[in-house]
Amino acid sequence: MAIKDRARDIIGKEVDGVLAFRPEGGSHVPHLFNADDIDQMAGEYPAGERYPVSSIVRRLQAARPGVRLAVVVRGCDERALIELEKQGQVDMEHLVLLGLACDGELAGTCGCAQPYPSEVVQGEKVEGGLDLGMVEKLEGLPPGERLDYWLSRFAACVKCFGCRNVCPLCYCKECALDEPGLVDHGEQPPLLPVFHLIRAVDMAGRCVDCGLCEEACPIGIPLRTLYRKVGEVVESHFEYRPGRSPDKKSPLSVLGTEEDVT
Amino acid sequence: MSDYRTVPTICPYCGTGCGMLLEVFGGELTGVLPWKGHPVSDGKLCIKGWTSHEFVGSPGRLASPIIRRGDAAGEVSTDEAIGLVAGELKRVVDEHGPDSVGFICSAKCTNEENYLVGKLARAVVGTNNIDHCARL
Amino acid sequence: MSRKPENNNGKDEVKILAFLCNWCSYAGADLAGVSRLQYPPNVVDIRVMCSGTISPYHVLKAFQMGIDGVLIAGCHIGDCHYIKGNYMTYKRFQVIRDVLEFIGIGEDRLRLEWVSAAEGEKFAEVIREFTGQVEQAGASPLRTRWEENPANRERIRKAFKPLLP
Repeated sequence: MAIKDRARDIIGKEVDGVLAFRPEGGSHVPHLFNADDIDQMAGEYPAGERYPVSSIVRRLQAARPGVRLAVVVRGCDERALIELEKQGQVDMEHLVLLGLACDGELAGTCGCAQPYPSEVVQGEKVEGGLDLGMVEKLEGLPPGERLDYWLSRFAACVKCFGCRNVCPLCYCKECALDEPGLVDHGEQPPLLPVFHLIRAVDMAGRCVDCGLCEEACPIGIPLRTLYRKVGEVVESHFEYRPGRSPDKKSPLSVLGTEEDVT
Repeated sequence: MSDYRTVPTICPYCGTGCGMLLEVFGGELTGVLPWKGHPVSDGKLCIKGWTSHEFVGSPGRLASPIIRRGDAAGEVSTDEAIGLVAGELKRVVDEHGPDSVGFICSAKCTNEENYLVGKLARAVVGTNNIDHCARL
Repeated sequence: MSRKPENNNGKDEVKILAFLCNWCSYAGADLAGVSRLQYPPNVVDIRVMCSGTISPYHVLKAFQMGIDGVLIAGCHIGDCHYIKGNYMTYKRFQVIRDVLEFIGIGEDRLRLEWVSAAEGEKFAEVIREFTGQVEQAGASPLRTRWEENPANRERIRKAFKPLLP
C-alpha cells in the first residue's frame, strides 16, 4: 500500500491528480484521482492488468498544459515516459513517478531487461534479463523456414490495430498503416509482411519492450520477438537502448555526426 | 467528478461480448482501452471494438425519429413514429395478409429484443418472414 | 509489372529497383549511359532529391510488390548536397537490412552504395555486381502472395494452437 500512502500525502499539494487504478467489479481500471476520491485508489497492482499509462499521461498533459500529475509506473512505463520526453511528447518536470517493482513471476514471464523503475516505492526489486530465447531460436533457422514462420504468424492478423493503439510510443496522428499507398484498405489479412514490417522498422529506437502489443493481439502473433530483434539491431549498430538515458536521443531521430556513420 | 476515468462495459457490436473500457476525458468519450482480465476478451479487441467510441458522438447519428412526407422530411416524436409504423404494418397485413410483411433483427440488439421480434412476427402478425443480420 | 517468364541461363529473371539521389548517383548513372557503358537491363531507377528522403516504407513496399532487389545509392559521406542527409540513409539502411535478414527475405537483396556524379564506371560496376548477387539469391519469395498458396494454408493452421480441443 506504499504507493497509495505516498499518493495520499502529495495529492492537493505537490500534484493535482494521481493517475492510478480504481477497483471495479474485480478488475482494476485506470482512473485519475483527485483529492476527493483518492481514498478509492487500489493498493494492489495485479500483473495481468497492465495499461499504457504513459499514453494516458501524454494525452492528459497535452490537453491540460501545466497540470501536475503523479502516475504509478513500472519499469517499462518509466522507460516509455523517458523516451516520450525526448520526443517532445511528455513533460517530466510536472510529473511525479510512483515506482512499482514487478514481482518475480511477472519478471519471469514478461522477460524484459529491467522489471523495476529507477525509484521503487512499492514492491521488491527483482532482477530481470532480456529474454532473447525466441530471437536466437529463429536466427538458427534457415531463411526459407524463417520466412514461412513469420508469414504463417502474420497471415492470421485481423487488422485490429491493437498493437499500434496500445503502444505507448505510437502517437502519430497520421499513421503509415492507414496509408492507402502502403497498405490496402479493406484487405484481411493485410498485405504481408509489409504491414508488420512497417511497425517493426518504426519501433527501431522507440520500443521499450513493455509487451502491451503482444498482450493486445487477439491472434498471439509473436510481436515482441520481432521488436526485440529490432532492439538488438539498434543496440549493435548504434549502442542505443530506448528508455535508458533521459538525454541521449535515438540516433534514428537525429542526423548525428560523422562519427556515427564511419 | 474525475477529469479522466474509464468505464468498464461490453462492446455493442456483435454477439461475442468483449469487455472494454470507455475512456471519459473532460466529460467526453474520447477513446477505448481493452479490458484486461475480462473472461471473454482478455484484454484484446477487434477493430470494431477499438473504434466503437467514434459513433457515439457522431453528428450523423439520429437524435429523434424522422418522417418523410413527399419531398419534406421532418423530426417527429417517438410516439408519432411508432404510431405511423404500427398503423401502416397493420394496414398492409389487413389488406394483403400476414406474409406480405417481413421482419429483420440485428446482432446489435439484445437476445431478449431479438426474441420479442420473433414473437411479434410469429404470434402477433402470423408470419415466419423473419431474418437476422447474422442469419440467426 | 510484367516479367519475362522464361529463365535466363537457368537463373531467374530478376527485377531491381534503384533509388538514386538527384545530385550524385543519378548523375553518375546518367554518365554511365552517356558513356555507353554496358550493364544488365534489370534495373528500374527512381530519382529522389536525397537518399535521406528514402523511407524504410518505400523499400519494404518494393519487396512487398515482388521486387527481387533494392539498391540505394547516394552521395559519399561528407558530400551530401543537403550536408547530412546521407547519414540518415546509412543508419536506416542498417536497420532495414537486418530486419529483412531476420524475417527471411535476405540481406543480400538490399544494398547501399555511395556513387558520385563522376563515377559512371562505378555505377555500371555496382549494377553488374548487384544483379549477379540478386540472381544468386533468386526470385523474391514475395513475388506471389504467400498466403494464397494452398501449401502454406497448412502452415498457418499449424502455427496456432486450436481454440477448442
